[in-house]
Amino acid sequence: MKLFLIIFFVAATVALIIAGLYQTPTASADTVGITSGSSLLAPKPDTPDRALTLFLQDMQRRNWRKAFGDVAQANGVDEQAMMQEWSGSNGSLRTFSSLEGFQLWPLHESNDDAQIRAHMRWSTPVGPVEEVRDFGMQRDGNIWKVVFSKIEVPATPAQVVPVTYLRWDLVTGGESGSWGSRNVDAPRVRIISMNAVDSAEGTVIVGEVTNEDTVPAFVNVNATLSDEDGKVLDEESSFDRIAHILLPKEVSPYRIDFPGIPLADVKNVRMDVRPALVPASADPVIGVINQKIDKDAQGNSVLRGELLNQSGETVNIPHVIASFYDGNGRVIWVSDGYIDRALVPLGSEPFAVEIPRSLAAKVQSYHVVVNHYDLKNS
Amino acid sequence: MQSETTIKPSNNYSRPIPLLAILLVALAVHGPLLMMQLPSGSFDTNFHIFFASHYVHHWFNPWNEKWFAGFSQTTYPPLTHQWIALFSNVVGLNMGYMLVQLIAVLLLPVGVYRFARIWVDETAASCAALGSVFLGALAFLVYQAGQLATVASAALYLNALPYFYEWMTSASKLSLAKGVAIGWAAAAAHHVTLIFGLVLFAGPVLWVACLDAHKERVSASIAGAIGRAIAFAVLIGAGVGIILLPYWVAIIQHPIHQIPIPHDSRANFLLKTTAGINYFIIPYGALILALPFILWRGASAQRLRPLLWGFWVTAIFGLGGTTPLPRWLLGRAFEILTFERFTFWATLLAMPIVGQFAAEWLRRYRTKAAVGLSIAAVGTLSLALAWLAINPYRPTGTLNVDPVDAFLNRDGHDAYRYLTLGFGNELSKVSTYTDASTVDGEYNSARLLPEMTHYGSAQLTNAKFYGSAGMDSLRSMLRHASRYGLKFIFVHDPYYEPLLTFAGWRKIETFDEGSITAWEKDDVPPAHRILSDAVPPAWQGLMWGTLPIGASALAIFLEVFFPNKRRVPVSIPVHPRKENQFVA
Repeated sequence: MKLFLIIFFVAATVALIIAGLYQTPTASADTVGITSGSSLLAPKPDTPDRALTLFLQDMQRRNWRKAFGDVAQANGVDEQAMMQEWSGSNGSLRTFSSLEGFQLWPLHESNDDAQIRAHMRWSTPVGPVEEVRDFGMQRDGNIWKVVFSKIEVPATPAQVVPVTYLRWDLVTGGESGSWGSRNVDAPRVRIISMNAVDSAEGTVIVGEVTNEDTVPAFVNVNATLSDEDGKVLDEESSFDRIAHILLPKEVSPYRIDFPGIPLADVKNVRMDVRPALVPASADPVIGVINQKIDKDAQGNSVLRGELLNQSGETVNIPHVIASFYDGNGRVIWVSDGYIDRALVPLGSEPFAVEIPRSLAAKVQSYHVVVNHYDLKNS
Repeated sequence: MQSETTIKPSNNYSRPIPLLAILLVALAVHGPLLMMQLPSGSFDTNFHIFFASHYVHHWFNPWNEKWFAGFSQTTYPPLTHQWIALFSNVVGLNMGYMLVQLIAVLLLPVGVYRFARIWVDETAASCAALGSVFLGALAFLVYQAGQLATVASAALYLNALPYFYEWMTSASKLSLAKGVAIGWAAAAAHHVTLIFGLVLFAGPVLWVACLDAHKERVSASIAGAIGRAIAFAVLIGAGVGIILLPYWVAIIQHPIHQIPIPHDSRANFLLKTTAGINYFIIPYGALILALPFILWRGASAQRLRPLLWGFWVTAIFGLGGTTPLPRWLLGRAFEILTFERFTFWATLLAMPIVGQFAAEWLRRYRTKAAVGLSIAAVGTLSLALAWLAINPYRPTGTLNVDPVDAFLNRDGHDAYRYLTLGFGNELSKVSTYTDASTVDGEYNSARLLPEMTHYGSAQLTNAKFYGSAGMDSLRSMLRHASRYGLKFIFVHDPYYEPLLTFAGWRKIETFDEGSITAWEKDDVPPAHRILSDAVPPAWQGLMWGTLPIGASALAIFLEVFFPNKRRVPVSIPVHPRKENQFVA
């Protein structure tokens, strides 16, 4: 009996542990940003798919040394460069991001090399960011290694950039602890267009708001939906799909989502814009160039372009908000996207924002506004 | 003359260690650490103090407006919090917590001793009790996790089980009364311990009582023992049903339907080694070396087999997602429970066998064994304490939140709700000392706001650690800032600043040499009361304020005024060996 019990407990424990290795990992066991350590039972990178999985897992866990060991050395990338390229620099969105998950699609494979497309999902402070990246793979004896190509950043020559932008300061009359104006009239701000769109996720209110005053304004647009009985269905705000600070005469698109509420249920939309007087400056000046509507790898319509930092300071996190118009000049959609690389002085970065398939054919023109977050001025 | 006064070494190492000496060791080891308030930096300490602070001001009203825009404290058994609240009138909240924790830590070796006496002789039981003072799992729960209620409840439960055994085997009515009263108190401290303890702790005790009855080692018959066990269970069940009635009402009215929240104790420890260190190596410590002996000895002696089964099942549960067994047996509850407490229980269940091991070694190897076991015990505790400083799960450390409380308590700022970001467990400290309320909170099971329950993340203040789920939950809450009157946000982690900037908050103040920044949204209206059907009626508040504390008072009364004549009626040598084997 004694021996039987001992054998049973040992065998059952071992069997359960082995079974545990084959069960699907539970999402409720994974936290982000806490060092998880290496796996005691790592498989051998004997296929391109497995090699890239191990590499991305090591990058995800920030085991740089181990990840660098998975890289084909012939490519001339050093560990520091790989780290910097992966984890970002200049206070960009990537420096705040963690790789949350990935999916791999083999593109082609031969005896000695292969190419795999990785759909990577990054967790960032401004919401999840999807990235599609193609990795080359190389056979190295019995194992496969990753060809990690470093993105070359053009070096800007040393120069002096004159500062000529406008700036509005605000004297609050000794009222400490308040940033908006408490003792002066709010700036004149007006919603110049509003359109309710029925999307797959629910009702979406899109439009534009302008600052008609001669001073900067901080704006937030709110919308309340009600049904035919006058009952309020939901109240939402433009949140981050608006440029909150509007300089005099500036126009910003806005978008307010009402997930789960079909447009057919909505009888009335009440719009509410709440402006406040704030200090602001026109710097940094960010230009939008080379805009065009194009198709992405999945065949979706996207608006592509480049952001050009025309000032002498780094823009850490640029945010693109684009409004799309139909033939009558009516706003039919607003899309936005964050750029995960910083805009260095006089540098440029590409951007792309999606247009829904159902509306792509109706788009006749577009307007792009760039919002930004600066570490220095936050 | 000299030979008459010399004590033989073999006698020294064979004698039981007096319980008072064990208690003094526990006091010497844990007393200074607790008086230094070492658990202040643990994950849950501030949470328990926050709950206690509510009872200080509203003993009979469990509805707390300070978290989640209002929640009911009947969702968490109140005993330890109410004792902290009582002590706080004399020593303050922080020291009140430490005192209650110290009492729990002192009750634990007593409970282990008494529980071990069911299975092993007095010497082995005393070794088990002494060993329990140095358990890595205990240090982990007290100083890293801050799981006051789990420790207190387990300690009480261990003290109740010998009475359960006595009642089953000798039909002692006093044992019944004491066992039931202590069992009620244990449930009033922590419900999860009671639910799982019924199977994992009481199951082996029932089994061994039946074995003893079968072998006629006790006067009871098997049927009698089972009958009395049923009577005991009915009394416990009925009492717990009444004492925690507001809890059951709350949990039935609002079952936990939220998306599972990640916790590393559910990970596969072989694939996530840091979790393995945190949830296996640290809690077990040197006990890992004793595992073969536990298995060997537990399988050898028939009386120890129930205990071995209890230990094995509990230990497998403690491995979280390393094996599929917990998920198979618990189903959806697997995604709600955390598993570090199972490891703690497993170590407690192992202690009688480990005590036996220690006693045998001491008899055989005397000083060498004493030195080795001492090093193992102290090493285990030291490792758990050292891990506090170097583990990647450690709380962010102490943060001076006084300026935040001062800000919220002045100029009518408490008319609005607030949020903290990057504060970790300091959120509870902010909440304890301000009149303002927040939409966040540290007790996941009490959350009812859809912005928090639909995303699979825990506290908003730690949103980034839950990846996109956490940040989506935070975004959802910020979107509805006007709905909740959420005007002020305090940030201790620049990670969140881009989101706040893009979402329309502006930085207005800086505290504590720049480590905390205050952000404001200008167009948010003052907070109003959020209507909820979870508000407990007055009669529940009255029950909540009297019955749990009353159960503990009854247990104390019975223990003090009706002391035990004998601890445990049976002491069976579980593995008789020839005496000369133990004498060098």
